[in-house]
Amino acid sequence: MAIKYVLLVSRQGKVRLAKWFNTLSPKEKQKIIKEVTQMVLSRRTKMCNFLEYKDEKVVYRRYASLFFVTGISSNDNELITLEIIHRYVEILDRYFGNAYFVLDELIIAGEMQESSKKSVIRVVSQQDALEDGENGEKGWTEK
Amino acid sequence: MSTSMRGLTVFIADIRNCRVRELEEKRINKEMANIRAKFKDGNLNGYQKKKYVCKLLYMYILGWDIDFGHMEAVHLISSNKYSEKQIGYLAVTLLMHENSDLARLVVNSIQKDLLENNEIFNCLALHAIANIGGREMAESLANDVHKLLISPASKGFVKKKAALTLLRMYRKHPDVIPAVDWAERVIQLIDDLDLGVALCVTSLIMALAQDNLEAYLGCYEKAVSRLKKIVVEKEYSLDYVYYKVPIPWLQVKLLRLLQYYPPSDDERVRAELHDVLQAILSSSQETPRNIVNQAALLLGRFITSKETNVRYLGLETMAHLAACVDSLEPIKKHQDTILLSLRDKDISVRRRGLDLLYSMCDVTNAKAIVTELLRYLNIADYALREEMVLKIAILTERFATEYQWYVDIILQLISTAGDHVGEEVWYRVVQIVTNNEELQEYAARTVLIHLRSISCHESLVKVGGYILGEFGHLIANIPGASAIEQFHAIHSKFGLCTLQTRALLLTTYIKFVNLFPEIKGDILSVFNQYRHVLDAELQQRAAEYLAIATMPTDDLLQTVCEEMPPFPERESALLSRLHQQHSDTEDKRTWIIGGKDVNKERENLRMSSLITRSNSSDNKKTNGNFTIHNGSTSSNGGSTSSNGNINGSNGYGDVDLLSFSDLNLNNEITDSPTTLTITSQRGVLPADSITPGSEQWFGKLIYMTEGVIYEDTQILIRLKSEYHGHMGRIALYFTNKTQIQITSFITVIEHIENVIITTPGPPPSTIAPSNQIQQLFHIECHSTFTGSPNLRVSFIIGIPVYTIGLRLPVVIAKFMEPIELNGPDFFARWKQIGGGHREAQKVFKSAHPIDLVNGGIRNMISGFRFGILEGVDPNPSNVVGAGVLHTAKSGMIGCLMRLEPNVDAQMYRLTIRTTNEIATQELCTLLEDRLTNDKL
Repeated sequence: MAIKYVLLVSRQGKVRLAKWFNTLSPKEKQKIIKEVTQMVLSRRTKMCNFLEYKDEKVVYRRYASLFFVTGISSNDNELITLEIIHRYVEILDRYFGNAYFVLDELIIAGEMQESSKKSVIRVVSQQDALEDGENGEKGWTEK
Repeated sequence: MSTSMRGLTVFIADIRNCRVRELEEKRINKEMANIRAKFKDGNLNGYQKKKYVCKLLYMYILGWDIDFGHMEAVHLISSNKYSEKQIGYLAVTLLMHENSDLARLVVNSIQKDLLENNEIFNCLALHAIANIGGREMAESLANDVHKLLISPASKGFVKKKAALTLLRMYRKHPDVIPAVDWAERVIQLIDDLDLGVALCVTSLIMALAQDNLEAYLGCYEKAVSRLKKIVVEKEYSLDYVYYKVPIPWLQVKLLRLLQYYPPSDDERVRAELHDVLQAILSSSQETPRNIVNQAALLLGRFITSKETNVRYLGLETMAHLAACVDSLEPIKKHQDTILLSLRDKDISVRRRGLDLLYSMCDVTNAKAIVTELLRYLNIADYALREEMVLKIAILTERFATEYQWYVDIILQLISTAGDHVGEEVWYRVVQIVTNNEELQEYAARTVLIHLRSISCHESLVKVGGYILGEFGHLIANIPGASAIEQFHAIHSKFGLCTLQTRALLLTTYIKFVNLFPEIKGDILSVFNQYRHVLDAELQQRAAEYLAIATMPTDDLLQTVCEEMPPFPERESALLSRLHQQHSDTEDKRTWIIGGKDVNKERENLRMSSLITRSNSSDNKKTNGNFTIHNGSTSSNGGSTSSNGNINGSNGYGDVDLLSFSDLNLNNEITDSPTTLTITSQRGVLPADSITPGSEQWFGKLIYMTEGVIYEDTQILIRLKSEYHGHMGRIALYFTNKTQIQITSFITVIEHIENVIITTPGPPPSTIAPSNQIQQLFHIECHSTFTGSPNLRVSFIIGIPVYTIGLRLPVVIAKFMEPIELNGPDFFARWKQIGGGHREAQKVFKSAHPIDLVNGGIRNMISGFRFGILEGVDPNPSNVVGAGVLHTAKSGMIGCLMRLEPNVDAQMYRLTIRTTNEIATQELCTLLEDRLTNDKL
């Protein structure tokens, strides 16, 4: 059940995060972002969280003013994908840091890697600690 | 990453403060120039490099083109500092993709990080491969990643990433991954204590197993027991409970993995699985009964839910249920609700409703569903219409019980849906009408009525033109449908149609000239007029038709306008249009939208495509002296439309589009073989050649029941077999001749058509030194066949993998039972069968001198399971035999043979007569082959 991409889009249609698990040209990516965003934003709140786009399915969910959008293949299970989004949001909620690194710990190659909140946060914090340690030596030398 | 790099923070703030795009551009250009200069200077320390690469990345994410800095990113990767390495990797994964030339530069650094004793570095490397790994990376790194996955020393979070990285490599380049060799070690990991690892490994196994079902058979039991541990025994840490459900992601994947295999034969495993399913179902509702009804009931509640997501999933899952249950009754109870879902506010729900209606349709509710779909078609979304038209057309065709209904509905469909009717739909109507005589008169009458209505869609004009041209004469005697009236009805639309349709109508007119000489005058004037139009196609047709029509005799006209022959039966283009293929390494669905029969057919199709594949690869192994492969594919080859008839749609369109099976008006569900063996799904490895030298053993075993089938310095394989009628059993004994343990032992059957081979269980995967294991196969002959199935045996001794390709001595003669006949009876049958195709006669030279004394010839003939008839032939050195070939589907086939040896010339004359052409040829080939080559 491979996820093809994850997009975070604001209510106004601005892209906040885009992660692609397929190799696509920038042009194709732009096209997908534009079309999918348009479809998602035009849907009303009462409607379901699934859409069809070309041969794929789009699973999205709105949290406050941010839309979390994923593209999956038509064979995939949309409910479980929706839960992946939700888990991602829960983790981001707990850990306020770089959304890209969190996503990397959650999904690799379009597949859910780890569903335990604790494990994900533990690995991300471990990386942070390592980084902080090194930065400590360096100091604030800056132009 | 941003905490300490003040320059970066300032830069980002600067950009954010740019109110206008021009300002932003200016700031970006300034920064780019600055960074370019710094990089050119060289002499930067790691920290500075990191900072500038970060800035570049930020610009890149904003959408600016970045054409430098790649080298600096590559340098950062080889840094020893995590923070620098991390940014290097981030940059590489963002700026490069799998086909970048630069990706090559990082392969070495990545490999170094993979082998490092530092898990965090391992992880960075794995992430990079998972993001940008192309063929080159897969080839040089797959093994290192695999080691990280299976090494007991690896931490859980490394294993997870390694598993998914391998998955990505496999999906991109399946040929690089030795999936079969890895099977055993990878399967073990389903049991990993860490549920996260189990989740990732299951994702990997799903992809590997569906292409290598046999090799991964062991995952079935593992998956069941893991599910049991989670669902029944509740072995999991609270971390993994997601809204009261323990790790739903893993549950979903394991269940899906189980779908790839037929239910296990092992009672214990089945019982466990049943417990698991029961537990899952009961945790979502109360009332018991049987599982299917329970599920339908629950889904029925789902589809009336207020929550849109639940309605959506309810409809989708119900379509899944409809695809696999025996009785649609529990689902049909909800028909009204489902019909209502077509009017749901949300298009996503409407689509699912449409899919479900399509899947749950059968003879009893077809009329109601189709009528409702037709009504809905008028108001349906544009995006949905074309698909709906296809589906309505298919349902109408499949479930029609009355001809009239079929014609009415399909014409109504064409006239209402108009522009959304694809070419396939009207082609199909024409085919069905042509192939079903009972339909023709009614169809002609109905199209005439439609043609007379004021608003008549062009597709309908096409159908009308074709049908009246072919079958107009059937209704010419009905008042109001005379020849001239038919002609006027069509010609009134002529001017409004496209060129393509006009060309088709011209063809209709020439057919009219043949059918109704009385209106020749009117038609000739049309041809005359169109001889001068600008369009070349129309002009040519008009001129040629005019010439044909005004010839002194009607001979050519009659030949050309002969009635169309029935169309060859082929897969419905409607269906093939509906079921598009998915790419190869993606997780596949084990079902499709459509009822149970469709799914069954599809399963069979999958199976037969496999068979043709192994057949054609068989053909490549040109050991010509063994069998004649009659290429079972040739019979369903191209469509034949090249007879002299004028084909209405031929002008512009392609006749090949008219491809179909005939209309099944009686609704007999074709009872095709549904036995599914594990290997028949996708387990066939790319067929290599047969191991050289093994043919000598094969040849002997064709007419013997036991013996050595293969032997080399490492392994000895013996075969024992017995056959009764169309059933047979083979036992293979594998002996390890070495002093080293054989591991990863696997056998795979390459199936051929009409022979079903099943095995009660896979062989043990190891053979101890000087030990023997055995494997049983059950064989069933469904119908006559040619050639023989292959068996591939692969195993590991020490390091290298050995693969042996063998032909299994399962040939058509094995399913023969000898019979006794006296002289008169034999000759009576001999005559009855007669010559022609049912007889095969060959005269050939033997490689060895013929010995009539020792009885070797007779032994061989009776080994071929012919009963030897003594005293029938007046010449005692001749051998006469009789047998009956048993098949499960094609009944019994009588087989007679006569062999006349000529000792002096060292020649034989062999004559075979059977009641089946294929059997005749195959037996003749088999016998000739052995008699030529074996010393008797």
